[in-house]
Amino acid sequence: MQQLQQDIIVVGGGGAGLRAAIAAAETSPTLQVALLSKVYPMRSHTVAAEGGAAAVTLEQDSLAAHFQDTVSGSDWLAEQDVVEYFVKHAYQELVQLERWGCPWSRKADGSIQVRRFGGMKTERTWFAADKTGFHILHTLFQTSLKYPTITRFDEYFVIDLLVVEQQIAGVLAICFSTGELVQILGKAVILATGGAGRVFHYNTNGGIVTGDGMALAYRHGVALRDMEFVQYHPTGLPGSGILITEACRGEGGILLNKDGYRYLQDYGLGPETPAGQPKNKYMELGPRDKLSQAFWQQQQRGLTADYHGHAVVYLDLRHLGEAHLASRLPFICELAKSYVNIDPATAPIPIRPAVHYTMGGILTDINCQTSISGLFAVGECASVGLHGANRLGSNSLSELLVFGKVAGEQAAARVQKMSLAPVSAVAAQCQHQQTYISSLFADSCDDTVHAIRTELTLAMEQGCGIYRDNAGLQTCLSTLQALKIRYQQLKVTDNSKAYNSALLQHLELGFGLDVADTICRSALARTESRGAHQRLDEGMTQRNDSDFLKHSLAICQPDGTAAISWQSVTITSLPPAERHYGAKGSGSAGSSV
Amino acid sequence: MNLKKPGSSKPEPGSYQPVMPRNWWLQHRYFQIYMLREATVLPLLFFIGCLLYGLYCLSLGETQWQHWLAFMAQPWVVLLNLLAFSASLFHAKTFFELFPRVMPLAPPGLMIAGQWLATLLVATGLVLLLGGWL
Amino acid sequence: MSKTINIARYNPQTDSRPQLQAFQVESDNSTSVLDALLQVQQQDPSLGFRWSCRMAICGSCGVMVNGIPKLGCKTFLRDYPDELTVSALAHFNVEKDLIVDMQPFLTHLAAVKPYLINDDQSSQPHRQTPAQLAKYQQFANCINCGLCYSACPQFGLNPEFLGPAAITLAQRYNLDSRDAGKTARMPELNSKNGVWGCTFVGFCSEVCPKKVDPAAAVNQGKVASAGDFIISMFKP
Ligand SMILES: Cc1cc2nc3c(=O)[nH]c(=O)nc-3n(C[C@H](O)[C@H](O)[C@H](O)COP(=O)(O)OP(=O)(O)OC[C@H]3O[C@@H](n4cnc5c(N)ncnc54)[C@H](O)[C@@H]3O)c2cc1C
Ligand code: FES
Repeated sequence: MQQLQQDIIVVGGGGAGLRAAIAAAETSPTLQVALLSKVYPMRSHTVAAEGGAAAVTLEQDSLAAHFQDTVSGSDWLAEQDVVEYFVKHAYQELVQLERWGCPWSRKADGSIQVRRFGGMKTERTWFAADKTGFHILHTLFQTSLKYPTITRFDEYFVIDLLVVEQQIAGVLAICFSTGELVQILGKAVILATGGAGRVFHYNTNGGIVTGDGMALAYRHGVALRDMEFVQYHPTGLPGSGILITEACRGEGGILLNKDGYRYLQDYGLGPETPAGQPKNKYMELGPRDKLSQAFWQQQQRGLTADYHGHAVVYLDLRHLGEAHLASRLPFICELAKSYVNIDPATAPIPIRPAVHYTMGGILTDINCQTSISGLFAVGECASVGLHGANRLGSNSLSELLVFGKVAGEQAAARVQKMSLAPVSAVAAQCQHQQTYISSLFADSCDDTVHAIRTELTLAMEQGCGIYRDNAGLQTCLSTLQALKIRYQQLKVTDNSKAYNSALLQHLELGFGLDVADTICRSALARTESRGAHQRLDEGMTQRNDSDFLKHSLAICQPDGTAAISWQSVTITSLPPAERHYGAKGSGSAGSSV
Repeated sequence: MNLKKPGSSKPEPGSYQPVMPRNWWLQHRYFQIYMLREATVLPLLFFIGCLLYGLYCLSLGETQWQHWLAFMAQPWVVLLNLLAFSASLFHAKTFFELFPRVMPLAPPGLMIAGQWLATLLVATGLVLLLGGWL
Repeated sequence: MSKTINIARYNPQTDSRPQLQAFQVESDNSTSVLDALLQVQQQDPSLGFRWSCRMAICGSCGVMVNGIPKLGCKTFLRDYPDELTVSALAHFNVEKDLIVDMQPFLTHLAAVKPYLINDDQSSQPHRQTPAQLAKYQQFANCINCGLCYSACPQFGLNPEFLGPAAITLAQRYNLDSRDAGKTARMPELNSKNGVWGCTFVGFCSEVCPKKVDPAAAVNQGKVASAGDFIISMFKP
């Protein structure tokens, strides 16, 4: 087994991982920073983000307002000290990116242009045409090339963390091109492996978003927090799930049911705003969970249309005009033309909700530190406490930057005073993994990764979808248990060394099964409705602050299943209140929307 | 940034190194058109040869000049020069279309039209001048 | 309906060169080449290819479809007859099936110093008007898929040639009003493997899935390089 030594190991080359690596390299030019990623960094799913990144920018905006929007959006499950830190540092980070070359869209006078975004009270979302994530990722990747101390390990797949007495000691990875196991020792490890959307069937996430990092930490006893909160995006393309950005609605797009009626006004988001004149927090600019739930209600009432066997509603952009669409939403026009064969200038786009974002993740403190000393987590794989029960669109790209920097700096500060663990301390663990991997191969196997994965994702969609109830969750849980047993018998039949994707998919499926278990059990335990978690059972359809104003923690048991416990929420200045959108939300000051 | 493959101390499994076949340019229509464009230089060479020969003849006197005129009037020479003319038009077309992309000064359509107009003007001017009408 | 997809298979442990293998796939109006490959992978899990976003933005899934470089996720079976052939991107070393070695591409990208170079230290954003942004915006849209390298015979003949994407990226930064690094980038562009390696075949721009027009960028680079040369003649 090849053995390498580094100071800091960053796992993940998306926005969070790259930002952390740069921060670490900038803190001290003597530190060796390894950047591991299972795909080339610019393939990471940050690349797909379209809409934008939030920060208080305009004169009339305030940190307090961004704080309020985020906390109320989270249905009071955000850590308020974390939100305070976040809103304070977001602007600075977006400027940093500007100074690294990000082509932010501009106003005529050359200053930064900001746009509206769902759930945000005023315009504060920076964007780079409709390819914000793409430009952020490429700017970070290209900037990272400046730092000679960052060594990239492209297409290295991390299969385990090396932990010695609750201290991180490094990672174990498979080099995709050779199939060899590589042991990398380090004094700090930053997990930035992204979300877990792919454990669901319909989703906006790319094929690599399989929850690996969450499972890696979870298997070593780190709690996964708030896993029941999974955000559906109201506007994915039917079938593929490809995202049609919220910016379409920000620009004035409207949602219609099969009768051409703007149904959102029936679900507390009205009164109807004139087409093409969007108003923050009203109608189409209400929060995502409400919009996805409205779709579900319409579907129950038989008011959705059918598109090749998928229930859909319509996103109508026609009134915006061809020229406006071409200049503001060119990527969306391209996607609609390619994947549903529709020109948004002349026809409405069929859309349906799809899983988009995992609010929960690896429990960390405000410094991105987990319960294993020296192990940090950041980005979508982490739960630093910003999103609570529901993430506001455009907060997460800013989160990657703000907390990516924190994680990088914290890791750098730690390694100055640490030394590497001796190889002997991790030898047994590495040997164990080596044996495990070898045991996975066989000449034939009746079951397949594809079959188990399909059943897993369908079960999650059924049981842990937009609305949940006890019976559905129990069914889902027993399906998951059956699948886990099948997984243990599953073998890899391709025994080639180089680029063995069958092996990686096998391991990803194992990660996904663990993550799915935590989602399902957390959802069962939370017998109230809050944010993205909506229960249909009697007595559970409302938010219940007296019992559930707290985070769920899923902790791995010896039998591999999750035990759920609870953690209190940090509330600094904004006590829980009702979430209001539409006309109800525009009440007096202090109505905390 | 260290771009060396960190795993490269391990023996890399083999990889297949493709070689460009000699006739690569016959493989797509796109490459064929490209080669055609490059080949426009051949008839143009012939045309330049003719011109130089004409100048040489002129310096030798009236009879040689008449001889050259007769040479130029032969059908195969006319044909080759027509070919050279269309080749240069073809080349000009590809060049004019490229130019606005390399120097985006105005909308491409406008720039292309402008270049053709300029060519036409210069050509007419030259014809008028050499023909003694100016 | 069912279509035949011939895939150039290559296993470095057993094969000396890629060989075609035929598979049947189900295809409807929205089946992409990537969808078809995923179907094949269910029949034969050993098939190797790269993909991630399936929405033409991550740049992973470049392959040759009937000899033309394409993004698998943005190429649809509906546009082909009953049979089509998919092979690894041309001009790169094939590592397994449809997976090529992208390292030369990344090395070339890094060689042009693709980041803002300037020495102002302000903590406020630069001003950049929409017109200044428009100067380079198109060239900033490259997704690093490498299709242009497979379309470029000059890169095929000389792998040291910086190639369309890298030169485009250099041009993207050279044209950025916030950048002052052109002098640092020009030596690489002026070198024998720089802009002058291009003979303007133009196929790179034809195959670019993002309409970045690398051929234009390379030829703008030639103008800049020529300018550099003329200026240097008048310098003592
Ligand atoms: C379609 C879409 C649109 C979005 N739009 C917006 C938006 O407009 N605004 C906004 O704020 N947010 C948006 N989001 C959310 C946001 O983009 C993501 O939350 C964020 O990009 C996640 O970044 P990350 O760095 O945490 O992870 P990713 O970018 O997903 O990167 C994960 C990295 O980890 C690596 N990795 C994973 N597992 C392993 C392993 N086992 N071994 C080695 N490496 C591994 C991967 O290779 C990858 O490099 C959007 C999300 C999607 C899906
Ligand atoms: S899969 Fe991302 S570009 Fe095709």
